[in-house]
Amino acid sequence: MVKVTVCIGSSCHLKGSRQVVEELQYIVKRKNLGEDVELAGAFCMGKCAEKGVSVTVNGEYYSVDPAKVEEFFDDVIVKALNA
Amino acid sequence: MELYLENGYTSLNKAGEELCGDRVKVADDGKYTTLVLADGLGSGVKANILSTLTSTILCTMVSGGVSIEECVDTIIQTLPVCKERGVAYATFTVIHVDRDGKGYMFEFDNPEAIYITDGKCRNFERVPHKFEDKTVYITELALKPGDYIVTMSDGVIHAGIGMILNFGWLRKDVMAYLDKNLKPGMSAGAVACLLASACNDLYLDKPGDDTTVAAVRIREAVHVNIMVGPPVDKTKDDFYIARFLEGDSKKVVCGGTSSTIVARYLNTTVKADFDFPDKEVPPIGHIDGIDLTTEGVLTLRKLVELSEKYLSHTDLTPKTFTKRDGASLLADMLFEKATHVKFFVGQSINAAHQGLPIDITMKLKLVDTISKNLKLAGKTVEVYYD
Repeated sequence: MVKVTVCIGSSCHLKGSRQVVEELQYIVKRKNLGEDVELAGAFCMGKCAEKGVSVTVNGEYYSVDPAKVEEFFDDVIVKALNA
Repeated sequence: MELYLENGYTSLNKAGEELCGDRVKVADDGKYTTLVLADGLGSGVKANILSTLTSTILCTMVSGGVSIEECVDTIIQTLPVCKERGVAYATFTVIHVDRDGKGYMFEFDNPEAIYITDGKCRNFERVPHKFEDKTVYITELALKPGDYIVTMSDGVIHAGIGMILNFGWLRKDVMAYLDKNLKPGMSAGAVACLLASACNDLYLDKPGDDTTVAAVRIREAVHVNIMVGPPVDKTKDDFYIARFLEGDSKKVVCGGTSSTIVARYLNTTVKADFDFPDKEVPPIGHIDGIDLTTEGVLTLRKLVELSEKYLSHTDLTPKTFTKRDGASLLADMLFEKATHVKFFVGQSINAAHQGLPIDITMKLKLVDTISKNLKLAGKTVEVYYD
């Protein structure tokens, strides 16, 4: 089980956290990974200065470009699943 | 039990008129609330002037404690006489009631006010009094929590006349409509809007007369404390939060950092929702012991938009907030449920927010506008800056 938390604070909202959330939900559904990936939201993670949307995967921090969610999913989340 | 009086009204202009010939004036001196609904003869400019004069004079005099007789006499002496019709005329209803629901109402030629108690419409026990050749109906009021007084101009009972209803919207039908559609806990403004929009429908969106509904409701007071942003002095977080959590008022926290420090103080964590009922508003959060947790500036900005619509006396969208996004929940809490609102505004700056449309100046400005709008909605507002 991989836990993915997306920041939905003000800064990240402006940077596109809704897009990240919806895309992650879509990918998880499409790949039928609902049992393996747990998605959650979190208020401000205190990394507002980062360029992208704040996301943690099993507690590890990533800054995600809303245009590259699919890549992020394959690179980080799938890897975490296989680990 | 602490009681509170609230009022609200909605006006429709006669189709094609820029001005409304009906006028509502409200005065509140902290003890008594005085509400006057006046309907000027005719429509347009002349009616507007007559009703403005009548309502302003009556509201000022009655709230100043002048006797009914003297008030009525002043109106009769003062109103300018219409050149064409040879009469000076405006009909009126005056409600003057204190925080315990005690007071009086007097009516002259407006449709009889409706008394709603235990969710059912009733008639008032009106006593006629002669002043010169005019008959004014006086009612002693003893309202209990949950009671409403609904008063209206004749545009309401004439709604649809000659169009889809032969004789207009009869009083008994208005009452039946209210009995059916009134939901417990509706605010005075929501009731006024409900009735006015039904009239607008009967007029097929082209009112044949100025139409106004004003309502007064007596209810239990509800205090709400709302924290917006963390205080400047970080070392005193605990002190400020303890003050915010004091008393048995409802608690609302706006903003990510604020939620985090409040949750820490309460030895718990913030759980963020993951749904977007409104695409513009970030999801809400949950903290055990806090009634509502939302994001900060973006939610507040949406709240300002919602509140302007809510306050409009001509907007006919139902005055209730049923959506589940942060801004609608906040609007429901502050504008519908609350009677007293205390803001605790932290002025700490989030460096990463500066330069974005969510910085501290924006936040302070929004709080300013919201507290102004809350006052317009008749709430008692206090703002503390930390």
